[in-house]
Amino acid sequence: MTLRLEPVLVDTGSDDEEGLLVFSNDRLVAVLVRLSDQHDSSAGSWFIESSFGIRDGHRTFPDLTAAQEWISAALLGARR
Amino acid sequence: MQTTPLLRRLQAIATPTDEEREVLASLSGATRQLRPNEDIARVGEQPSVVCLMLEGIACRYKISADGKRQIMSFHLPGDMPDLNTLFVHTMDHNFGALVPTTVITVPHDKMRGILVRYPRIAHLLWRETLIDAAVYREWIVMRDRPAYARVAHLFCELFLRMQVIGLSKDLSCPLPLTQLQMGDALGLSDVHVNRTLQELRAEQLIRLEGGTLTILDWEGLNYAGEFDSLYLHLKRAA
Repeated sequence: MTLRLEPVLVDTGSDDEEGLLVFSNDRLVAVLVRLSDQHDSSAGSWFIESSFGIRDGHRTFPDLTAAQEWISAALLGARR
Repeated sequence: MQTTPLLRRLQAIATPTDEEREVLASLSGATRQLRPNEDIARVGEQPSVVCLMLEGIACRYKISADGKRQIMSFHLPGDMPDLNTLFVHTMDHNFGALVPTTVITVPHDKMRGILVRYPRIAHLLWRETLIDAAVYREWIVMRDRPAYARVAHLFCELFLRMQVIGLSKDLSCPLPLTQLQMGDALGLSDVHVNRTLQELRAEQLIRLEGGTLTILDWEGLNYAGEFDSLYLHLKRAA
């Protein structure tokens, strides 16, 4: 499953504002946010701020590849 | 004395007589030391003892099908969180330590004997379990609020409960919980808990360092958490 990413600024009420809209088949399925320095050891990780059609979406991943793999797998699971 | 937290806890919600205090103070059993995340009793088990917490923090929790832990309540020294197993024999939830925790285990038979001989102690402990239920009701409502209010509410509650058992100093108390543990209790990700802590710090409401919570503005934190201590049914409040 190919995901399309589109940069976006997200107002999370915190320093975490660098985000990506994640599309699958031109449908928005998740909003990823890059964690800022206020998260110490997790800084730079990608957090699923919001997701659509995916259960238990609030997860953190060390990099974008891992985040996309998990989202793809979760979408496949949701369609089963 | 080992049972001091229990006496303090019960004296905060009722007035036991000298004799009742003596009986409670002499509660004894095997001491059990628990590591963080070590379970005391699991779903499906039928414990033959009740635990009286002496030190640490424990919780009741359940694990959902996708492996997520939901913490339903926190328990502090003086609490007897599995007292219900005296009457409801099979555990329908897990009960485990979150930080290094010490409990004494009192055999059911011994506990039943005390309740039969001293009905007023039974009433006291009944009152305690009713307040336990009141905390559940409060949490149902609290968990529907924004992250900011949930975290503030939790801090207000834990501070008052720590104060009752003599573990607070001025407006500080131990709070060795991780952000993940708080999140599992509040229905929040650790990321949201962290953001909220930064917000509460920036607003000069709290300080949380080295496992110690310091409340800088009690009224402000109460307001932030929409906190009203009524449900704890304490005879005195901060």
